[in-house]
Amino acid sequence: MVTMHCTSRALLTGAFGAALHRSSTLPPSFLVPCLASKQPASPFSTTTPLHARKDGNPSGGVSALRHTGPGKRQKLRSITPSQLPQPVRDPERRTSIVTDPDHGLWGFFNKERTSMPTPMDLVNHGRGWKTQELRGKDWEDLHRLWWVCVKEVNRLQTFLGEKRRVGSMYGDFEAEGRMKVIYATQNAIREVLTQRFYAWENARVAAMDDEEVNLYADPEKGEQAYVPREEPEQSEAEANEGTSLYSPPPPQGMSRGPEARI
Amino acid sequence: MATAAAIAPFRVGLKELYLPDFSVVLHRTPGLPAHNAKFTVPLWFSKLDLRDYLYHAYNVRILSVRSYVKQQRIIEGDPKNPRPQPNRWHRPRALKHMIVELEQPFVWPEEPEDYSAWNREEVKDSEAEQKKYGELMQPMGDAVVNEERRKSMREQAKALLEGRQKWKPTTSRSVGSMLSR
Repeated sequence: MVTMHCTSRALLTGAFGAALHRSSTLPPSFLVPCLASKQPASPFSTTTPLHARKDGNPSGGVSALRHTGPGKRQKLRSITPSQLPQPVRDPERRTSIVTDPDHGLWGFFNKERTSMPTPMDLVNHGRGWKTQELRGKDWEDLHRLWWVCVKEVNRLQTFLGEKRRVGSMYGDFEAEGRMKVIYATQNAIREVLTQRFYAWENARVAAMDDEEVNLYADPEKGEQAYVPREEPEQSEAEANEGTSLYSPPPPQGMSRGPEARI
Repeated sequence: MATAAAIAPFRVGLKELYLPDFSVVLHRTPGLPAHNAKFTVPLWFSKLDLRDYLYHAYNVRILSVRSYVKQQRIIEGDPKNPRPQPNRWHRPRALKHMIVELEQPFVWPEEPEDYSAWNREEVKDSEAEQKKYGELMQPMGDAVVNEERRKSMREQAKALLEGRQKWKPTTSRSVGSMLSR
């Protein structure tokens, strides 16, 4: 075994002499100790590196979300580290999760429960409800219809979100067309409710000045709200003024203040 | 619905909201476990609002919610407007996402095998064409090299030099060209 040692003998016989004759790129023998041992590299910068401020929190650096595991100060008394369950890293060996068919989140999907509706499915819709058709509906039906619209919009937005993730496909135009129909229905519901309120408010304001009407009547005690006077009635032509197309005007004095955000 | 409202697993708020005008979007999250779901909610929504919404509208019970607001990057003009509006830089409204831990797991339906029903291949091809054309419209458009033309010119020059083709003058676009045919 040739011991590489930086002696004068090595310098005179091995290093210089050999270097002149050899054509290989071996380093000279006096440099071999540097290459043999891996010395730690010193940092280029002489500035002291910044450390996180120590505030003495016993559970510092421990996070369940970041999977740090228990810290040095955390004492597991009920279970030893060897008893901890190990995660199954192979996806094929994991138990498959079965989704409940009655899960509420299926409300965000279509009837076929596919990940995305096709443009042909999206275009398969009729027209929205009209104000004339909704006027006969009571509050419960209108409220139910509103929520049907809301859930359909959520469904469409979920589709658009998934489409954005996958990218490069048709469906925007069809989804937009479907949403327009839903917004038309919602606007019609809002219009009907507004007109109903205007009619009620106008009637209430008119009743306050009307002598035949008693607004403070208690129907449970048998008091009559409308007590007509014994006078010949007006012609019926005036009474049948209100057709279904008549929309009551907004009550006077109702200030259109800033819309309250819900 | 009535039974769900009667036995809510949390303390229901007193404020009743009717005719809501917002949407809640469910996202596919392959990186999250099946017991988690991610929603995009209105910016003014709170965790309590989402818990209430999911319970009353979808009958979905949750264990916990985490939320974060994601700032949007600044954009030029209106993305919906096909006409470009340069230098109208602004930052769109931020998005609020909420990640929910469900009581019952939910696995998204699988992606379709092929997207032919959504014309994916054609849209991809058209986007590539648009991108190529768009590069020519850029300020550095005249520096873009047409490799196909280069190759074609090289082949034509080679054919001419080797004598396989003879040079012919291009036909003029005057009326006389029609008569000469």
